[in-house]
Amino acid sequence: MIRELAFQDVLYLVLAMRWTIVLTLLALSGGGVIGLLIAACGASRHVALRTFARAYVGTVQGIPLLAWLFIFYFGLSIVGYNLPPWIAATIGFSIYAGAFLGEIWRGALISIPKTQWEAALAIGLTYIEQLRYVIIPQAIRVAIPPTVGFMVQLIKNTSLAAVIGFVELTREGQLTTAATFQPFAVYLIVAALYFSLCYPLTRYSRALERKRRVVH
Amino acid sequence: MSFIELKSVVKRYGKHTVLQDVDLEVEKGEIIAIIGRSGSGKSTLLRCINGLEPVQGGEVWVDGVAVHDPSADLRELRARVGIVFQSFNLFPHLTVERNITLGPMIVKGMTADKAATLAREVLKKVGLEEKIKAYADELSGGQQQRVAIARSLAMSPSIMLFDEITSALDPELVGEVLLVLEAMARDGMTMLLVTHEMNFARRVANRVVFMNQGKVWEQGPAKDFFASPKTDELRSFLSSVLH
Repeated sequence: MIRELAFQDVLYLVLAMRWTIVLTLLALSGGGVIGLLIAACGASRHVALRTFARAYVGTVQGIPLLAWLFIFYFGLSIVGYNLPPWIAATIGFSIYAGAFLGEIWRGALISIPKTQWEAALAIGLTYIEQLRYVIIPQAIRVAIPPTVGFMVQLIKNTSLAAVIGFVELTREGQLTTAATFQPFAVYLIVAALYFSLCYPLTRYSRALERKRRVVH
Repeated sequence: MSFIELKSVVKRYGKHTVLQDVDLEVEKGEIIAIIGRSGSGKSTLLRCINGLEPVQGGEVWVDGVAVHDPSADLRELRARVGIVFQSFNLFPHLTVERNITLGPMIVKGMTADKAATLAREVLKKVGLEEKIKAYADELSGGQQQRVAIARSLAMSPSIMLFDEITSALDPELVGEVLLVLEAMARDGMTMLLVTHEMNFARRVANRVVFMNQGKVWEQGPAKDFFASPKTDELRSFLSSVLH
Protein backbone atom coordinates (compact mmCIF):
# COMPACT_ATOMS: atom_id res chain seq x y z
CA MET A 1 0.00 0.00 0.00
CA ILE A 2 1.44 3.36 -1.00
CA ARG A 3 1.07 6.24 1.39
CA GLU A 4 2.10 9.91 1.52
CA LEU A 5 5.56 10.97 2.68
CA ALA A 6 4.80 12.27 6.16
CA PHE A 7 6.68 14.11 8.85
CA GLN A 8 6.90 10.79 10.63
CA ASP A 9 8.98 9.36 7.76
CA VAL A 10 11.44 12.21 8.02
CA LEU A 11 11.69 11.53 11.72
CA TYR A 12 12.45 7.86 11.04
CA LEU A 13 15.19 8.87 8.64
CA VAL A 14 16.73 11.15 11.24
CA LEU A 15 16.55 8.34 13.77
CA ALA A 16 18.14 5.89 11.32
CA MET A 17 21.06 8.29 11.07
CA ARG A 18 22.10 7.23 14.56
CA TRP A 19 22.86 3.73 13.24
CA THR A 20 25.06 5.31 10.60
CA ILE A 21 26.86 7.09 13.41
CA VAL A 22 27.07 3.96 15.57
CA LEU A 23 28.49 1.90 12.71
CA THR A 24 31.02 4.64 11.96
CA LEU A 25 32.12 4.69 15.60
CA LEU A 26 32.35 0.89 15.77
CA ALA A 27 34.41 0.85 12.58
CA LEU A 28 36.64 3.61 13.95
CA SER A 29 37.26 1.69 17.18
CA GLY A 30 37.97 -1.62 15.48
CA GLY A 31 39.85 0.06 12.65
CA GLY A 32 41.72 2.21 15.15
CA VAL A 33 43.11 -0.83 16.97
CA ILE A 34 44.06 -2.54 13.69
CA GLY A 35 45.43 0.76 12.33
CA LEU A 36 47.69 1.29 15.35
CA LEU A 37 49.08 -2.19 14.91
CA ILE A 38 49.60 -1.74 11.18
CA ALA A 39 51.20 1.69 11.66
CA ALA A 40 53.56 0.34 14.32
CA CYS A 41 54.54 -2.59 12.07
CA GLY A 42 54.83 -0.38 8.99
CA ALA A 43 57.17 2.10 10.69
CA SER A 44 59.18 -0.63 12.42
CA ARG A 45 62.83 -1.33 11.77
CA HIS A 46 62.11 -5.03 11.23
CA VAL A 47 61.64 -6.05 7.63
CA ALA A 48 59.22 -8.88 8.48
CA LEU A 49 56.87 -6.52 10.31
CA ARG A 50 57.00 -3.96 7.52
CA THR A 51 56.26 -6.67 4.96
CA PHE A 52 53.28 -7.85 7.01
CA ALA A 53 51.91 -4.29 7.20
CA ARG A 54 52.36 -3.77 3.47
CA ALA A 55 50.68 -7.08 2.67
CA TYR A 56 47.70 -6.27 4.89
CA VAL A 57 47.22 -2.80 3.44
CA GLY A 58 47.70 -4.06 -0.12
CA THR A 59 45.20 -6.88 0.30
CA VAL A 60 42.51 -4.80 1.97
CA GLN A 61 42.83 -1.84 -0.37
CA GLY A 62 42.87 -4.13 -3.39
CA ILE A 63 39.46 -5.61 -2.62
CA PRO A 64 36.24 -3.56 -2.72
CA LEU A 65 34.64 -2.82 0.62
CA LEU A 66 31.42 -4.30 -0.67
CA ALA A 67 33.21 -7.61 -1.27
CA TRP A 68 34.44 -7.63 2.33
CA LEU A 69 30.89 -7.13 3.54
CA PHE A 70 29.64 -9.99 1.36
CA ILE A 71 32.43 -12.26 2.60
CA PHE A 72 31.52 -11.73 6.23
CA TYR A 73 27.77 -11.77 5.77
CA PHE A 74 26.95 -14.22 2.97
CA GLY A 75 30.30 -16.02 2.80
CA LEU A 76 30.48 -17.00 6.45
CA SER A 77 26.85 -18.06 6.54
CA ILE A 78 27.58 -20.68 3.87
CA VAL A 79 30.25 -22.26 6.06
CA GLY A 80 27.87 -22.21 9.00
CA TYR A 81 28.51 -18.92 10.79
CA ASN A 82 25.42 -16.76 10.64
CA LEU A 83 26.56 -13.34 11.67
CA PRO A 84 23.92 -10.70 12.31
CA PRO A 85 24.28 -7.81 9.82
CA TRP A 86 25.65 -5.36 12.37
CA ILE A 87 28.46 -7.70 13.40
CA ALA A 88 29.35 -8.56 9.80
CA ALA A 89 29.34 -4.83 9.00
CA THR A 90 31.47 -3.97 12.03
CA ILE A 91 34.07 -6.59 11.10
CA GLY A 92 34.11 -5.61 7.42
CA PHE A 93 34.38 -1.90 8.13
CA SER A 94 37.03 -2.41 10.82
CA ILE A 95 39.24 -4.35 8.44
CA TYR A 96 38.74 -1.68 5.81
CA ALA A 97 39.31 1.26 8.18
CA GLY A 98 42.33 -0.48 9.73
CA ALA A 99 44.16 -0.49 6.41
CA PHE A 100 43.50 3.17 5.67
CA LEU A 101 44.13 4.43 9.20
CA GLY A 102 47.27 2.28 9.37
CA GLU A 103 48.61 3.91 6.24
CA ILE A 104 47.71 7.43 7.42
CA TRP A 105 49.33 6.89 10.81
CA ARG A 106 52.40 5.16 9.42
CA GLY A 107 52.89 8.13 7.12
CA ALA A 108 52.55 10.49 10.08
CA LEU A 109 55.13 8.55 12.10
CA ILE A 110 57.72 8.45 9.37
CA SER A 111 57.10 12.09 8.44
CA ILE A 112 58.79 13.17 11.67
CA PRO A 113 62.39 13.91 10.67
CA LYS A 114 65.22 11.67 11.91
CA THR A 115 66.77 14.76 13.47
CA GLN A 116 63.93 14.86 16.00
CA TRP A 117 64.71 11.31 17.11
CA GLU A 118 68.35 12.28 17.29
CA ALA A 119 67.79 15.43 19.32
CA ALA A 120 65.74 13.40 21.79
CA LEU A 121 68.40 10.69 21.90
CA ALA A 122 71.08 13.32 22.45
CA ILE A 123 69.49 14.55 25.69
CA GLY A 124 69.44 10.96 26.91
CA LEU A 125 65.87 9.81 26.25
CA THR A 126 65.30 6.09 25.71
CA TYR A 127 63.56 4.76 22.58
CA ILE A 128 60.17 4.62 24.31
CA GLU A 129 60.65 8.10 25.80
CA GLN A 130 61.60 9.48 22.38
CA LEU A 131 58.36 8.08 20.98
CA ARG A 132 56.24 9.22 23.86
CA TYR A 133 57.47 12.78 24.38
CA VAL A 134 58.81 13.80 20.99
CA ILE A 135 57.65 11.66 18.07
CA ILE A 136 54.05 10.61 18.80
CA PRO A 137 52.83 14.07 19.92
CA GLN A 138 54.09 15.49 16.63
CA ALA A 139 52.81 12.55 14.58
CA ILE A 140 49.33 13.01 16.07
CA ARG A 141 49.27 16.61 14.89
CA VAL A 142 50.20 15.45 11.41
CA ALA A 143 47.67 12.62 11.46
CA ILE A 144 44.54 14.38 12.74
CA PRO A 145 43.50 16.22 9.56
CA PRO A 146 43.73 13.15 7.26
CA THR A 147 42.13 10.98 9.96
CA VAL A 148 39.15 13.29 10.16
CA GLY A 149 39.09 13.34 6.38
CA PHE A 150 38.95 9.55 6.37
CA MET A 151 36.07 9.65 8.87
CA VAL A 152 34.07 11.55 6.28
CA GLN A 153 34.73 8.77 3.76
CA LEU A 154 33.79 6.20 6.35
CA ILE A 155 30.46 7.85 7.17
CA LYS A 156 29.51 7.86 3.51
CA ASN A 157 30.73 4.30 2.97
CA THR A 158 28.62 2.93 5.82
CA SER A 159 25.76 3.27 3.33
CA LEU A 160 27.12 0.06 1.76
CA ALA A 161 25.97 -1.82 4.86
CA ALA A 162 22.45 -1.34 3.52
CA VAL A 163 23.04 -4.18 1.05
CA ILE A 164 23.50 -6.72 3.82
CA GLY A 165 20.35 -5.50 5.51
CA PHE A 166 21.82 -3.29 8.20
CA VAL A 167 19.22 -0.58 8.71
CA GLU A 168 21.11 2.65 8.69
CA LEU A 169 20.30 5.88 6.90
CA THR A 170 20.46 4.57 3.32
CA ARG A 171 18.55 1.37 4.10
CA GLU A 172 15.87 3.40 5.91
CA GLY A 173 15.70 5.56 2.78
CA GLN A 174 15.08 2.45 0.65
CA LEU A 175 12.37 1.28 3.01
CA THR A 176 10.69 4.68 3.05
CA THR A 177 10.84 4.86 -0.73
CA ALA A 178 9.22 1.45 -0.99
CA ALA A 179 6.36 2.62 1.20
CA THR A 180 5.80 6.09 -0.26
CA PHE A 181 7.17 5.74 -3.78
CA GLN A 182 8.74 9.17 -3.62
CA PRO A 183 12.41 8.38 -4.24
CA PHE A 184 13.39 11.91 -5.24
CA ALA A 185 12.14 13.52 -2.03
CA VAL A 186 13.33 10.70 0.18
CA TYR A 187 16.85 10.49 -1.20
CA LEU A 188 17.19 14.26 -1.13
CA ILE A 189 16.49 14.08 2.58
CA VAL A 190 18.95 11.19 2.95
CA ALA A 191 21.58 13.20 1.06
CA ALA A 192 20.96 16.25 3.23
CA LEU A 193 21.37 14.17 6.37
CA TYR A 194 24.70 12.72 5.19
CA PHE A 195 25.80 16.22 4.30
CA SER A 196 24.89 17.49 7.76
CA LEU A 197 27.22 14.86 9.24
CA CYS A 198 30.10 15.20 6.83
CA TYR A 199 30.34 18.89 6.09
CA PRO A 200 31.14 20.03 9.65
CA LEU A 201 33.86 17.37 9.83
CA THR A 202 35.37 18.55 6.56
CA ARG A 203 35.42 22.11 7.85
CA TYR A 204 36.96 20.94 11.12
CA SER A 205 39.65 19.01 9.25
CA ARG A 206 40.54 22.12 7.23
CA ALA A 207 40.75 24.21 10.38
CA LEU A 208 43.08 21.67 12.00
CA GLU A 209 45.26 21.63 8.93
CA ARG A 210 45.87 25.34 9.34
CA LYS A 211 47.04 25.37 12.94
CA ARG A 212 49.42 22.50 13.47
CA ARG A 213 52.82 23.07 14.93
CA VAL A 214 55.35 20.70 13.40
CA VAL A 215 58.73 20.75 11.72
CA HIS A 216 58.40 22.35 8.30
CA MET B 1 94.23 9.19 30.47
CA SER B 2 92.92 12.33 28.81
CA PHE B 3 89.41 13.64 29.33
CA ILE B 4 88.47 12.55 25.80
CA GLU B 5 90.61 9.98 24.04
CA LEU B 6 90.10 8.51 20.58
CA LYS B 7 92.43 5.65 19.63
CA SER B 8 92.58 4.42 16.00
CA VAL B 9 88.88 5.04 15.54
CA VAL B 10 87.39 3.55 12.36
CA LYS B 11 83.90 4.44 11.16
CA ARG B 12 82.34 2.92 8.05
CA TYR B 13 79.00 3.26 6.33
CA GLY B 14 78.81 0.00 4.44
CA LYS B 15 81.96 -0.08 2.33
CA HIS B 16 82.59 3.63 2.61
CA THR B 17 85.17 4.50 5.25
CA VAL B 18 84.45 7.85 6.88
CA LEU B 19 87.00 7.78 9.67
CA GLN B 20 90.31 6.02 9.21
CA ASP B 21 92.42 5.41 12.33
CA VAL B 22 91.62 8.68 14.03
CA ASP B 23 93.57 9.53 17.16
CA LEU B 24 92.67 12.55 19.23
CA GLU B 25 93.16 13.58 22.83
CA VAL B 26 91.35 16.42 24.52
CA GLU B 27 92.05 17.73 28.00
CA LYS B 28 89.46 19.18 30.35
CA GLY B 29 88.71 22.83 29.57
CA GLU B 30 90.21 22.68 26.08
CA ILE B 31 88.44 24.31 23.16
CA ILE B 32 89.04 22.45 19.93
CA ALA B 33 88.00 23.72 16.53
CA ILE B 34 87.65 21.01 13.88
CA ILE B 35 87.92 22.22 10.31
CA GLY B 36 88.06 20.56 6.92
CA ARG B 37 86.22 20.10 3.66
CA SER B 38 82.73 18.69 3.64
CA GLY B 39 82.88 14.91 3.66
CA SER B 40 86.18 14.87 5.53
CA GLY B 41 84.57 13.19 8.55
CA LYS B 42 84.39 16.18 10.93
CA SER B 43 80.76 15.77 11.92
CA THR B 44 81.05 11.99 12.12
CA LEU B 45 83.96 12.40 14.51
CA LEU B 46 81.83 14.54 16.85
CA ARG B 47 78.93 12.12 16.68
CA CYS B 48 81.17 9.22 17.64
CA ILE B 49 82.12 11.01 20.84
CA ASN B 50 78.62 10.85 22.36
CA GLY B 51 77.78 7.53 20.75
CA LEU B 52 75.26 8.83 18.19
CA GLU B 53 77.33 6.84 15.69
CA PRO B 54 78.70 3.46 16.71
CA VAL B 55 82.32 2.91 15.65
CA GLN B 56 83.60 -0.14 13.78
CA GLY B 57 87.07 -0.11 15.23
CA GLY B 58 89.30 1.54 17.82
CA GLU B 59 88.38 3.03 21.17
CA VAL B 60 86.49 6.12 22.25
CA TRP B 61 86.96 7.10 25.88
CA VAL B 62 85.00 10.01 27.29
CA ASP B 63 85.48 10.95 30.93
CA GLY B 64 86.27 7.33 31.81
CA VAL B 65 83.35 5.83 29.81
CA ALA B 66 84.19 3.35 27.03
CA VAL B 67 81.81 4.71 24.37
CA HIS B 68 82.93 2.09 21.81
CA ASP B 69 81.73 -0.69 24.12
CA PRO B 70 78.20 -1.74 23.06
CA SER B 71 77.27 -2.29 26.70
CA ALA B 72 78.27 1.27 27.72
CA ASP B 73 75.62 3.31 29.54
CA LEU B 74 75.16 5.92 26.82
CA ARG B 75 72.08 7.44 28.48
CA GLU B 76 74.17 8.51 31.42
CA LEU B 77 76.98 9.64 29.12
CA ARG B 78 74.69 11.75 26.95
CA ALA B 79 73.57 13.66 30.01
CA ARG B 80 77.21 14.72 30.42
CA VAL B 81 78.05 15.33 26.77
CA GLY B 82 75.82 17.95 25.16
CA ILE B 83 75.51 18.27 21.40
CA VAL B 84 74.09 21.12 19.34
CA PHE B 85 73.19 20.52 15.70
CA GLN B 86 73.36 22.60 12.55
CA SER B 87 69.58 22.54 12.11
CA PHE B 88 68.77 23.39 15.80
CA ASN B 89 66.33 20.45 16.11
CA LEU B 90 64.16 22.07 18.74
CA PHE B 91 60.98 20.13 19.50
CA PRO B 92 58.42 22.23 17.58
CA HIS B 93 55.38 21.03 19.53
CA LEU B 94 56.79 22.15 22.88
CA THR B 95 57.45 25.58 24.36
CA VAL B 96 61.00 26.76 24.85
CA GLU B 97 60.60 25.99 28.53
CA ARG B 98 59.45 22.40 27.92
CA ASN B 99 62.20 21.87 25.35
CA ILE B 100 64.66 22.68 28.11
CA THR B 101 62.99 20.92 31.06
CA LEU B 102 62.23 17.66 29.22
CA GLY B 103 65.72 16.19 29.63
CA PRO B 104 66.31 17.17 33.27
CA MET B 105 62.84 15.97 34.32
CA ILE B 106 62.81 12.66 32.47
CA VAL B 107 66.45 11.64 32.46
CA LYS B 108 67.45 13.10 35.81
CA GLY B 109 64.09 12.95 37.59
CA MET B 110 64.16 16.65 38.48
CA THR B 111 60.92 18.16 39.88
CA ALA B 112 58.93 20.52 37.66
CA ASP B 113 59.65 23.50 39.93
CA LYS B 114 63.38 22.93 39.97
CA ALA B 115 63.46 22.33 36.23
CA ALA B 116 61.55 25.57 35.60
CA THR B 117 64.08 27.51 37.66
CA LEU B 118 66.86 25.81 35.76
CA ALA B 119 65.22 26.69 32.43
CA ARG B 120 65.20 30.38 33.38
CA GLU B 121 68.83 30.12 34.46
CA VAL B 122 70.11 28.61 31.23
CA LEU B 123 67.96 30.91 29.11
CA LYS B 124 69.54 33.83 30.92
CA LYS B 125 72.95 32.52 29.86
CA VAL B 126 71.91 32.67 26.21
CA GLY B 127 70.04 35.96 26.69
CA LEU B 128 66.54 34.70 25.92
CA GLU B 129 64.66 34.67 29.23
CA GLU B 130 61.75 36.55 27.68
CA LYS B 131 61.16 33.75 25.17
CA ILE B 132 60.47 31.07 27.77
CA LYS B 133 56.84 30.57 26.68
CA ALA B 134 57.50 30.85 22.94
CA TYR B 135 57.45 28.05 20.36
CA ALA B 136 60.33 27.41 17.97
CA ASP B 137 58.45 28.76 14.96
CA GLU B 138 58.12 32.11 16.72
CA LEU B 139 61.89 32.50 17.02
CA SER B 140 64.57 33.54 14.54
CA GLY B 141 67.22 31.00 13.54
CA GLY B 142 69.77 32.57 15.85
CA GLN B 143 67.32 32.48 18.74
CA GLN B 144 66.42 28.85 18.04
CA GLN B 145 70.06 27.92 18.07
CA ARG B 146 70.58 29.74 21.38
CA VAL B 147 67.62 27.83 22.84
CA ALA B 148 69.17 24.60 21.56
CA ILE B 149 72.37 25.52 23.38
CA ALA B 150 70.37 26.28 26.53
CA ARG B 151 68.63 22.91 26.21
CA SER B 152 72.01 21.19 26.22
CA LEU B 153 73.30 23.31 29.09
CA ALA B 154 70.32 22.32 31.22
CA MET B 155 71.76 18.82 31.46
CA SER B 156 74.88 20.38 33.07
CA PRO B 157 77.25 18.73 30.62
CA SER B 158 80.98 18.64 31.19
CA ILE B 159 81.61 18.54 27.42
CA MET B 160 79.80 20.38 24.65
CA LEU B 161 79.90 19.33 21.00
CA PHE B 162 78.88 21.83 18.32
CA ASP B 163 78.21 20.54 14.83
CA GLU B 164 78.44 23.47 12.40
CA ILE B 165 75.94 25.34 14.50
CA THR B 166 76.15 28.60 12.58
CA SER B 167 76.10 27.12 9.07
CA ALA B 168 72.31 27.27 8.69
CA LEU B 169 72.06 30.84 9.97
CA ASP B 170 71.71 34.06 8.03
CA PRO B 171 75.02 35.95 8.29
CA GLU B 172 73.61 38.67 10.53
CA LEU B 173 72.51 36.05 13.09
CA VAL B 174 75.86 34.26 13.41
CA GLY B 175 77.31 36.83 15.81
CA GLU B 176 74.76 36.34 18.59
CA VAL B 177 75.42 32.57 18.63
CA LEU B 178 79.19 32.98 18.65
CA LEU B 179 78.89 35.38 21.59
CA VAL B 180 77.17 32.64 23.58
CA LEU B 181 79.97 30.22 22.68
CA GLU B 182 82.61 32.71 23.79
CA ALA B 183 80.88 33.13 27.14
CA MET B 184 80.85 29.36 27.60
CA ALA B 185 84.52 29.21 26.69
CA ARG B 186 85.27 31.78 29.39
CA ASP B 187 83.37 29.63 31.89
CA GLY B 188 85.86 26.82 31.25
CA MET B 189 83.58 24.42 29.34
CA THR B 190 85.34 21.69 27.36
CA MET B 191 84.21 22.30 23.80
CA LEU B 192 84.66 20.67 20.41
CA LEU B 193 83.36 22.67 17.49
CA VAL B 194 83.09 21.67 13.89
CA THR B 195 83.07 25.06 12.23
CA HIS B 196 83.53 27.06 9.08
CA GLU B 197 84.08 30.27 11.06
CA MET B 198 87.85 30.49 10.73
CA ASN B 199 88.15 33.82 12.49
CA PHE B 200 86.18 32.49 15.41
CA ALA B 201 88.34 29.34 15.51
CA ARG B 202 91.48 31.46 15.54
CA ARG B 203 90.20 33.73 18.29
CA VAL B 204 88.54 31.29 20.67
CA ALA B 205 90.00 27.80 20.13
CA ASN B 206 93.10 26.56 21.96
CA ARG B 207 93.77 24.02 19.29
CA VAL B 208 92.68 23.53 15.71
CA VAL B 209 92.29 20.10 14.13
CA PHE B 210 92.27 19.78 10.35
CA MET B 211 90.47 16.71 9.06
CA ASN B 212 91.16 15.37 5.57
CA GLN B 213 90.11 12.06 3.99
CA GLY B 214 88.79 10.72 7.27
CA LYS B 215 92.02 11.38 9.14
CA VAL B 216 93.34 13.97 11.54
CA TRP B 217 95.66 15.47 8.95
CA GLU B 218 97.24 18.22 10.96
CA GLN B 219 96.65 19.87 14.31
CA GLY B 220 98.21 22.58 16.37
CA PRO B 221 97.74 25.62 18.61
CA ALA B 222 95.34 28.09 17.04
CA LYS B 223 97.80 30.94 16.79
CA ASP B 224 100.42 29.20 14.60
CA PHE B 225 97.98 26.98 12.79
CA PHE B 226 96.62 29.44 10.27
CA ALA B 227 99.89 31.32 9.85
CA SER B 228 102.14 28.36 9.11
CA PRO B 229 100.36 25.28 7.78
CA LYS B 230 102.69 22.30 7.47
CA THR B 231 100.90 20.24 4.84
CA ASP B 232 99.91 21.14 1.29
CA GLU B 233 96.38 19.92 1.94
CA LEU B 234 95.87 22.38 4.79
CA ARG B 235 97.49 25.17 2.82
CA SER B 236 95.17 24.59 -0.10
CA PHE B 237 92.13 24.28 2.20
CA LEU B 238 92.97 27.50 3.99
CA SER B 239 93.52 29.37 0.75
CA SER B 240 90.11 28.22 -0.45
CA VAL B 241 88.29 29.42 2.68
CA LEU B 242 90.29 32.50 3.63
CA HIS B 243 90.30 35.35 1.21
